[in-house]
Amino acid sequence: MRGISLFLTVIFCLTQPLVAAAGGRIAGQHFGQANEIVVSFASPEASDAVSNPANYRVVEEQDPDIRLEVKAVRLSEDHTTATLTFASPLNQRLPHLVSLNASTAASSESVRVSKSYLGYLFSILISALLINNFVFTKYLGLCVFFGTSKRKDTAKGMGVTFTMVMVVSAIMSWFFYQYILKPFQLNFLQIVIFIGLVSLTVQAVDTVLRKVNPALFNAFGVYLVLVIANCVIIAVPLILADNEYNFLESLMLALGAGGGFLLALYLMSSVRERMELAKIPPTFKGVPIAFIVAGQFALAFLGFSGLTLF
Amino acid sequence: MATDKTNLQLIANGILNENPIFRLVLSMCPAVGISTTVMNGFMLGIAVLFVQVFSSCTISLFKNKIHPRIRIPTYTLTIATWVTVIDMVLAAYLPEAYAKMGIFIKLIVAFAIITMRLEMFACKETVNASFFDGIGMGLGFMFGMMSLGFVRELLGQGTILGYDILGFKPLLFFVLPFAGFFCVGLMMAFFNYIELAYKRGKRA
Amino acid sequence: MKDILTIIWRLTVACLLAAIVMGGTFVFTNKAKKENALKNEQRVMLGLLGYSKLNPAPATVALHEVYRYVVSEGGRQAMGYLLPAKDGGHGACTLVTIDLDGKFLRQSQVTLAADQLADTVARTAAVQAALGQGATLRYADQTVVVTRDGKRVAYLLPGKFPGFKTFISVILALDQKFTILGLEIMEHEEDPGLGGEIVQKYFKNQFKGKGIETMKKIEVVKTPLPADYLKALEAEPGGGLGADEVAKIQAQYQDKDIYALTGATISSRSLTNGVKGIVQKFAYRLAILDRVVQEQKISVPF
Repeated sequence: MRGISLFLTVIFCLTQPLVAAAGGRIAGQHFGQANEIVVSFASPEASDAVSNPANYRVVEEQDPDIRLEVKAVRLSEDHTTATLTFASPLNQRLPHLVSLNASTAASSESVRVSKSYLGYLFSILISALLINNFVFTKYLGLCVFFGTSKRKDTAKGMGVTFTMVMVVSAIMSWFFYQYILKPFQLNFLQIVIFIGLVSLTVQAVDTVLRKVNPALFNAFGVYLVLVIANCVIIAVPLILADNEYNFLESLMLALGAGGGFLLALYLMSSVRERMELAKIPPTFKGVPIAFIVAGQFALAFLGFSGLTLF
Repeated sequence: MATDKTNLQLIANGILNENPIFRLVLSMCPAVGISTTVMNGFMLGIAVLFVQVFSSCTISLFKNKIHPRIRIPTYTLTIATWVTVIDMVLAAYLPEAYAKMGIFIKLIVAFAIITMRLEMFACKETVNASFFDGIGMGLGFMFGMMSLGFVRELLGQGTILGYDILGFKPLLFFVLPFAGFFCVGLMMAFFNYIELAYKRGKRA
Repeated sequence: MKDILTIIWRLTVACLLAAIVMGGTFVFTNKAKKENALKNEQRVMLGLLGYSKLNPAPATVALHEVYRYVVSEGGRQAMGYLLPAKDGGHGACTLVTIDLDGKFLRQSQVTLAADQLADTVARTAAVQAALGQGATLRYADQTVVVTRDGKRVAYLLPGKFPGFKTFISVILALDQKFTILGLEIMEHEEDPGLGGEIVQKYFKNQFKGKGIETMKKIEVVKTPLPADYLKALEAEPGGGLGADEVAKIQAQYQDKDIYALTGATISSRSLTNGVKGIVQKFAYRLAILDRVVQEQKISVPF
């Protein structure tokens, strides 16, 4: 119960607007409908200046010289929020800059409107987990997938081990990429460095686990070696290097990738355990029927395609 | 402990008995993901062939100097080097083909088949034998990918290598990536069937 | 102990060997990669203008590259346009800085040889040097102005915008009146068979011949393509349909909206909105640049 309420609070916070910089007349701003921006003021505004569309200058952040035409400004009843309506729908994926030129103030005030950053991070996580699931949508990591999805406990073990190694190696790869590969223009060493880091991580986790928690090691240690043969483990650093993600975004991607793999393994193993009791023709027994089931899962996951949150 | 197979037998072994995709069930990711056309399969097959042959030869050349405890890191380093080389070469001289394959060229480094082959064959055999074994494995992989690509391209787009054969598009389904799962499963079942029938025939 | 030393020694040697192999390949292939990318872009651009291997561009046709940067100085932003030198071969390019409202700010000389224009690193360094340390640069985009005998005939605009999945990268060709001459899709990651069909002729060619006024109001309709329009769009020169028949059908559908792809409405919409944005923003910016160049009497080769 407490977990659920905590989760709901987090979701609620994610949908709140970003707070503008301290000081100034504008206290908050966010996107409204498809062609609206809503600006809230620190104190009720009486003047006509805020209802005049000509006093607002709205641009997309990447094209600061192209003014977007404000068709109308509607002030709320208590004069604390103004809704700016535009002639055509805004591209809400891009951040916009809103400046208010008040005749009384010496300089204009400019605020940045964009979708919540936490929401963006969350959407990366969900994308790697469901929409672009690494096994069912990107078709990576299949060898290990088919090998360890025979029983639920192997699936869980492999999934958890993989997520751990994934997060650690993704973070290390990010550091290496940002501070060593990029500044020295050594991008062609990406593959070697990333796979080297993965091997290092596996070795480190192996040693640490052996000493720190032998019980855990007995449960999960055997899967560590298989992690290196997993295509996903090197796909994630390559993706985060390609997209130039920052630290938080890389972390979300790694968590999503690991979580997605765990989810895929769990689903597959549930089905395969039941299939052992079913009557399957001898030519299909074992791997062929597993492939067909995986294909059906992939078909189901296709339903998530194009899903956009925040 | 040299192998007693002739060079040709090594190649045939790679294509039939120990075909990486259909028999050893390794390196599935590209088989499912990008075997949408024969050309894709061919290009990736060439890349894997290159990496396999060069890695096998390199390891076989240095097999006496590799310390047993750092076997795996050495294999990984060798494979990663050759993958980087083929990646750069393809990006420079065949950009359209390279763009179609996307991330899969870089992922060759994680193919279990190559590491396993180095472990089981190259570190024990001569350079000559490793060379032909590498060719066999690479050709087997290419054969698998191309046959999958053949089926999927023909049934999905009605073309082969871009040439219109059927004149219409039968089932868009086959071109979409997840059909790869179905096709690989069916083809494996087909191979199983052949094997079972062969065994039954032998017994009779 | 000796064991560990041997291991470390062997591992180091192996790493060095690997590094030499990879470094050598990199040096060889990097130059080829850049050259090939450039040649490919040029081929696509000339193809959009109607030239090909069988119909090469005459010597009177010249391509002039204009690069746009966003310059931030002292908390204010401005647009910097890097214009090529009038006489083509020799050093000095001009950087024209225009503020966000279209007012001319200043004109600076940039020392850059003609063959260095394509090299991003050299170009950015030269522009930064011309502006001084107080300014930060952000590269925005590139426009190619095509002239024949010194008169403008076309504009080529590479552009990138969000698609259904990630980005779609295109090169657009406009004539002097901003009517679309052609559209070529360079990169996309749409679904094969669905959104991936944006590269097919029957979708791409719908944009041909649409004027800027049509583009400003264009929408995407979800009705199937009429049969005669489909034939006209896919017509090859020397194929079944005569050139004037094709032109007649095209003129009929010129001011109509874009017909969406089956099962790929979002991809169709993304492409249409992206092209619409590119054309509108370009027309706006070019008007400002032309006015400033004329007022300040800056010498440009177009």
